[in-house]
Amino acid sequence: MKNILLQAKQDVVVPDVLVNTEATSMSISIWFWVALVQFLVILFLLIKLKKKQRNLKFGDISKNSLNNAKKGEVDMANLMNSISGSKDLYKKLSRVCHPDRFINTDKQNIAEDIFQEISKYKRDFNKLTELKQRAIKELNINLK
Amino acid sequence: MWHKIMEVTEWFGEVAERYRLVKDFNKAAKFSFVAGVAPTLLEAKITTGDSSYKHAFSKWRGGGFRIKALSGRTLQKSELIEIGRVVLDNETLTRKMISLGWDTLEVHANQGFNGAKWALKEHANIGGFIN
Repeated sequence: MKNILLQAKQDVVVPDVLVNTEATSMSISIWFWVALVQFLVILFLLIKLKKKQRNLKFGDISKNSLNNAKKGEVDMANLMNSISGSKDLYKKLSRVCHPDRFINTDKQNIAEDIFQEISKYKRDFNKLTELKQRAIKELNINLK
Repeated sequence: MWHKIMEVTEWFGEVAERYRLVKDFNKAAKFSFVAGVAPTLLEAKITTGDSSYKHAFSKWRGGGFRIKALSGRTLQKSELIEIGRVVLDNETLTRKMISLGWDTLEVHANQGFNGAKWALKEHANIGGFIN
């Protein structure tokens, strides 16, 4: 009698467990596919982003030249001096060292050279200061 | 895997380098103002920038380098432009800014909405970045 009862219980329980596992496996498979689709969409978007970046300006620059650019040291004190003082110094120097002031003299070539440098570095205070010293020495001008 | 780890380390290093550049600029601007060399106190900060100026190294929502006049004399439009040109004429600084992910240079006055902005990528040739 006991055996029969146990058998009957097992007969009832077995189908229940089967239904549960089927339901969970079904739900797992749905989430698996959802995750897979999401993963593929993300992958597609990443590839698209990478391609777009390559098409942008500087996309073909090598990593070495990029790292070299990052390592460059910036003279911030010179930058600040350039912001506040380079314009006035440039005006002063370009007026005093203009080659037209040295026409038909032995200093004409030096003046032309200095004037070209002054125009080239018109917003670099340190360079302009160096050129000022050079102009005082080589052109014998009096800069106050 | 090692390559990926290096990339992550580089990314953090880059962020630190960006903040260091801004900090150095602000420090130099402060010294210059206190010493009486500069008529206006300037402050640099990172902004979102202009998306149309984007290049391959641009940082997302962090591509703007804004220089703002804080106090002292009010700056004229021509002076704002002059500040921008001085920054763009500095080869090393322009190259460094581009490589660290900035794409826009903004210069703002201390009053109102006066300001000017430049696309750094258009000034990279001056810095010899492409060569």
